[in-house]
Amino acid sequence: MSTTRRRAGLAVRLLPALLLTGLALVGPWITPHAVDAPVTAPYGEAGAGGTLLGGDQLGRDVLSRLLAGGRDLVLSSLLVALLVTGTAAVLGAIGAVRPLVGRVVERIADVLMLLPAVLGILLVTLSWPGGGRLAVIAAAVVLGVPYAVRLAAGAAAPIAGAGYVEAAAAGGERLWYLVVREILPNLRAVLLALFGLRFVAAVYLVATAGFLQVGPQPPAADWALMIRENSSGILLNPWSVVAPGIAIGLLALSVNLAAATLAPQTGRKAVTVL
Amino acid sequence: MSHTSDRREDEPGVAGAASRTVAPNDTPAVRVTGLTVAAPDGRLLLNDASLTLRPGRLVALTGPSGAGKTTLLRAVTGLLPPGTTRTAGHVDVLGHDVFSLGERALRTLRGTRLAHVGQDPGSGLNPRMRVRSLVRELAADKSADAVAALLAEVRLPDDGRLAARRPGALSGGQQRRVALARALARRPDVLLLDEPTAGLHPELRDEIAELLRHLARTHHLAVAFSCHDPEVVERFADEIVHLGAHMPAPRPGAPRTRTVDSSAGKGGSPLLEVRDLHVSFRGTPALTGVGLTVAPGAAAGIVGVSGSGKTTLVRTVVGLQRSTSGTIHLAGTALSTGLRGRTREQRRGMQLVTQNPLGALNPSRTVGAAVGRPLRLHRRCAARDVRDGVVDLLQQVGLPAEFADRYPHELSGGQRQRVAIARALAPDPDVLICDEITSALDAETGRAIMDLLAGLRERRGTTLVLISHDLPLIAGRTDTVTVLEGGRVVEAGRTAEVFAAPEHRATRALLGAATTAP
Repeated sequence: MSTTRRRAGLAVRLLPALLLTGLALVGPWITPHAVDAPVTAPYGEAGAGGTLLGGDQLGRDVLSRLLAGGRDLVLSSLLVALLVTGTAAVLGAIGAVRPLVGRVVERIADVLMLLPAVLGILLVTLSWPGGGRLAVIAAAVVLGVPYAVRLAAGAAAPIAGAGYVEAAAAGGERLWYLVVREILPNLRAVLLALFGLRFVAAVYLVATAGFLQVGPQPPAADWALMIRENSSGILLNPWSVVAPGIAIGLLALSVNLAAATLAPQTGRKAVTVL
Repeated sequence: MSHTSDRREDEPGVAGAASRTVAPNDTPAVRVTGLTVAAPDGRLLLNDASLTLRPGRLVALTGPSGAGKTTLLRAVTGLLPPGTTRTAGHVDVLGHDVFSLGERALRTLRGTRLAHVGQDPGSGLNPRMRVRSLVRELAADKSADAVAALLAEVRLPDDGRLAARRPGALSGGQQRRVALARALARRPDVLLLDEPTAGLHPELRDEIAELLRHLARTHHLAVAFSCHDPEVVERFADEIVHLGAHMPAPRPGAPRTRTVDSSAGKGGSPLLEVRDLHVSFRGTPALTGVGLTVAPGAAAGIVGVSGSGKTTLVRTVVGLQRSTSGTIHLAGTALSTGLRGRTREQRRGMQLVTQNPLGALNPSRTVGAAVGRPLRLHRRCAARDVRDGVVDLLQQVGLPAEFADRYPHELSGGQRQRVAIARALAPDPDVLICDEITSALDAETGRAIMDLLAGLRERRGTTLVLISHDLPLIAGRTDTVTVLEGGRVVEAGRTAEVFAAPEHRATRALLGAATTAP
């Protein structure tokens, strides 16, 4: 495959994620109507009153609220996925180099995994009532790291035993260098896949929190909140529920596609197949 | 295919051929014509290479490291290294053009008629499987007897424990033989081996080569193997295919403007002293009361059959393996067992070049970064001179300066080994420990590397510890030698004396194998 064609293929698979996150980020500024004032009848049909996707329970424009309601979800989820993947990668790599630390980390992870996600969110937000979105993010990170750390540790273990890591350790390198320069670069594919997975999990958790009205409160525009608020009118204006649902689904799909695209397919492998 | 492993010994070659589906004797099993393979940056890995394999014939591929031996063998299996492209030529295997064959047909061909054993077969063995499952997995006849017969055929007689081990508990030579048994288990028509004799002691090397010839004759296998050992090629190959060189010769004895560490100066007390070292793997003793004494500036050899604990000994000395008891002293200072308690200066003082060149380099870092890092870490030269230092080190091991920008996957096995040596030389070690470093190199490069090490020893007083199966090399390059067997030192002393009048049976066996070779 020629380089230009490969580049084009790469761009095509990165585009959906970039487009969707970009739209969610700038959305609040390009809304056609005000997000907090009714422009049509409650659950007004699509097209009524100049609305493309109709109105919600109070007659506010669904499209405008859709554009405005993604930013916090996307940013929170990206932040959670980054924090979880980063923490897990570093802890997993340290655990692989220092088996004793690894065992302690894994036992703690085992215990934390037993905590149901929704219960965890409620615990964190109840004990930190003013935390709002920060509390949700903190809860999602604490709940996500145990799963991710087991995976990262498993992937790092064979690399920690490789000749080049031993050579670096025997050559006098410190733990930090071994983790950051020798092990993590070779985990790129695993970490990107892990990031994609954790992003989906984060979207799920943040949206669940939104649905439970932990975090964003009405009248804020939020995809998860929209699904909850408008679910009673789903038959009158299906778009008021389906549109934010599709948005959440597409977001998870496209970010995973992008992460898979960025993972190295061939090339820098020490041991060739066969 | 009709033959069974237990019939192999007494089955005459003609009967074997008649019962097979292969075309008659004179039809080549594999024919490679004018094959040219280019790397992504346009370099030619292979230029107009041709190779013909016939059933019952043993063909040796020779040539310096980087000449394309591995690429050519891989091309026969229809699998080129990732990123490379075939720009010209054909590869015809058993009547199929492998590059126009579909994925499924190619897989069938590879699975049933072709067998390939790579340069580092140990890395292809699933570390979680036991030896007997590894062999049975591929065997046409899955009975326990057939598996035992296969292991016996590759001279790995099952003593009741070996077949139950996992690859991690085998020595490099044993792993190689398990991989060979796996290749034979499929009863292929074409057997391709990449450096099958590298890193084996002479007796075993001859056995493996003899075995290959025996297999070729009795089962009408078409065998191709790459090899840089002229003796093996001379004695065993029916045909020799020489691949051209792309590499400049190493620059032996290049002057290096480095300060000589005063601690490496000659003195009365030993620089490295190991006493009563015990190491065990999960209760199985690997080393029992091993001692090793090396004077400053001296060269010490460690010999022994594969599995005798040579590698374990040097890994324990550099701290990669913990010992259960015993002491290690470097320049009079006791070193802790394991790496944790050792200072950076103590770690710099001893450098190990390992046997396996494939895993020794980080796949995501360039050669320049790998070699330059120790220079920076141990402040061997000013930050702005690191680049020059890297180029100088690469040239010393016979690699051109532009290799600094390459990644390990772009290098051949021998080139990687040379990068690993350059990296070990970078921190100016007082003791350089080399575990079979010349086994992956062609004879000429191997000699140049040994000359380089001898030069370092002369100029800088670097102490050398060499592990090798190449007894002439040990005899010619070392002052003292230690013979290991079953994790114990069975004989030690001045190399000339030990080799002239070996006292222990194991030493005599090693030497016997070497001296019967022409």
